[in-house]
Amino acid sequence: MNVAAAFFYLFAFVLVASAFMVISSRNPVQSVLFLILAFVNAAGLFILIGAEFLALILVVVYVGAVAVLFLFVVMMLDVDFVELRQGFLQYLPVGLVVGLIFLAELVLVVGAWVTGPGVASAVASAPPSAGDVGNVQAIGRVLYTDYIYFFQAAGFVLLVAMIGAIVLTLRHKVNVKRQNISAQVARTAKTAMDVVKVRPGQGL
Amino acid sequence: MTQLLPPIGAVLPELVLAISAIVLILIGAVRGEGSANLVTGLAIAVLAAVGVLVLLQPAVEVTAFNGSLVVDAYSRFMKLLAVLGAVVSLIMAVDWQAREKQAKFEYAVLVVIATLGMCMLISAGDLIALYLGLELMSLSLYVVAAINRDSIRSTEAGLKYFVLGALSSGMLLYGASFIYGFTGSVNFLQIAAVAKEPSFGLIFGIVFLLAGLCFKVSAVPFHMWTPDVYEGAPTPVTAFFASAPKVAAMAIFVRVVIEAFPHVTHQWQQIVAFVSLASMVLGAFAAIGQRNIKRLLAYSSIGHMGFALVGLAAGTPEGVRGVLLYMSIYVVMTLGTFACVLTMRRKGQAVETIEDLSGLARRNPVMALALGALMFSLAGIPPLAGFLAKYYVFVAAIQAGLYGLAVVGVLASVVGAFYYLRVVKIMYFDEPVDDFDPMPTELKAVLAVSGLFTIFYFVYPAPLIEAAGAAARSLF
Amino acid sequence: MVIGLSHYLTVAAILFTLGTLGIFLNRKNVIVILMSVELILLAVNINLVSFSAFLGNLTGQIFALLVLTVAAAEAAIGLAILVVFYRNRGSIAVEDINAMKG
Repeated sequence: MNVAAAFFYLFAFVLVASAFMVISSRNPVQSVLFLILAFVNAAGLFILIGAEFLALILVVVYVGAVAVLFLFVVMMLDVDFVELRQGFLQYLPVGLVVGLIFLAELVLVVGAWVTGPGVASAVASAPPSAGDVGNVQAIGRVLYTDYIYFFQAAGFVLLVAMIGAIVLTLRHKVNVKRQNISAQVARTAKTAMDVVKVRPGQGL
Repeated sequence: MTQLLPPIGAVLPELVLAISAIVLILIGAVRGEGSANLVTGLAIAVLAAVGVLVLLQPAVEVTAFNGSLVVDAYSRFMKLLAVLGAVVSLIMAVDWQAREKQAKFEYAVLVVIATLGMCMLISAGDLIALYLGLELMSLSLYVVAAINRDSIRSTEAGLKYFVLGALSSGMLLYGASFIYGFTGSVNFLQIAAVAKEPSFGLIFGIVFLLAGLCFKVSAVPFHMWTPDVYEGAPTPVTAFFASAPKVAAMAIFVRVVIEAFPHVTHQWQQIVAFVSLASMVLGAFAAIGQRNIKRLLAYSSIGHMGFALVGLAAGTPEGVRGVLLYMSIYVVMTLGTFACVLTMRRKGQAVETIEDLSGLARRNPVMALALGALMFSLAGIPPLAGFLAKYYVFVAAIQAGLYGLAVVGVLASVVGAFYYLRVVKIMYFDEPVDDFDPMPTELKAVLAVSGLFTIFYFVYPAPLIEAAGAAARSLF
Repeated sequence: MVIGLSHYLTVAAILFTLGTLGIFLNRKNVIVILMSVELILLAVNINLVSFSAFLGNLTGQIFALLVLTVAAAEAAIGLAILVVFYRNRGSIAVEDINAMKG
């Protein structure tokens, strides 16, 4: 067994084990942490297979943003999680049987992977993979040219996520004092001070 | 390196939608809370303009972005239908938002972005464009389902829709990854060139892909979300859900199986036939016990998707033409029905049970007549439009030798007629209850147009049949 | 022993199964359901990347990149909807999502 194979089994085993812990652990905070572990190991698998860019993106986007978002929400919603988890195990036996059957079928399909007769021609017409250039460079060359449409569409999907999150959760509280920056910047010496002459005996 | 800039005429509708969505957000953000009416009005104008742009596109097949975006007669037909659904449901939302004090400019913006997603979806020429269009549409829909964020039912509808929708797009993607792996390409035409004989993995991929699409058209067995989301979402949102997204999802369903898998027809035909059969039967039986009109319409739409899929199961140009005609007539009928549902409010409070329609014939004979015609048409009673829609798909199924499907379809529509006719009976023969609040003008207009279309469609159906025929032929 | 495509696909299949099980077995907590969705999408990404590497064509990696982007957006919207639901209902237990039935 060579080193690459050893690393494959290491990453794959930890990935599957932590994925199992994500769905079975009693505390959602632990679930999120195991999710992070799963993503890091998946990134390891991506590096083994030669997709360095995606491996890095997986760590940056998932561990850096999505998992932190999950953690944030788990802690924001003050829920009695211990009570939430009870009763999970009663479905486990049935679930395991169903899951194993499903998995066996999936693996059967996976084993049947053969490249069809026409695959070679389809591959040839597609953009070439890393030849003399690295993986990151190869992706960069096609992402903004051949795939510009998808790139723009993905931007719109992110815009929807932003609008959606704001429209659903942002609340303007009326009694909160806020900084009015434009008013502050627009202040001049003249407007800042108002000299009032107070006449004796009359007041303002 | 391929040509970077696409032919501008081909992508103009999408471009206009994208740019105006951004402009509308900016207008809303700059003008603040009170801008809802302005933004909604502008959004309606933009959508109408996009409809005109689609209509004006020359009748040739153009592809852009290396075949990711296909503009042909089929996509023009379906885009027009989707834009029609979006614009009419947005018009119907204006009065509702004012009365419920729910005016949010984001709603109009999200509808515009969802329409952009639908246009991308309808024109998708490969699996990646399909996925991105679908997600752009779905993510906007999840948000608008929960847009009434202080209502427990609206947020619950959003949550249910989201969880099941996310699962379904996961399944769709898993299927797409298998199709990519077993054919080496994501482009529909290249997949068709490779997938000459059914391999195990390819069929597996098709099954997962179709499962994801069945969710989006709410066909059995992936229909569970439909009644709850229809009931929980605010009524104008439900009207939107029932019209435009259904059209877009059905459009891509048809395009995928016809364009990408023409050589494995037998395999997907079985799946489509089963889904169609189950949807027709469930739509007919589950609606019988419903008291809430929105839930009733949810089951009704499940059944109608089943009928439309009968035409696809045939797998012939006539069958696809039947699907297109069915969807056109379905959209018009649904929008008219929802114009009535939106009118159902007493003393400023929306009411939703079927019993609230009691004696409508004596209180408001014109509305009762229009709603009655729509119900008869939904049930498929000749000579109304709904009957002809069913006729087109059943004839195509019989020509393709799917006798069983056609027979079950006829039986299901007989059973389904029961609950549509119950609504008519309640309107005409039950004791009247209190009057509804007066109907806003735009709802009157929608109801009138929809009612007249359903009643008089049979007089002059030729233009629609011709357009649908041309659209269907462009796929083959 | 050479690590081939089927090894990667098997890992993806196991992850997909675990994600699906997580959704259907979980009767208690919606957040874990959202995490299960992320697992499913991770399985899809492994599939796409390994097909891409073994077919020698970049399309799969671009697809995976876009799936990652959309998954992040999906997580944001899912959590936003979850937060507003929690504000109304005071709970995120699956059995409490029951205002509508029939």
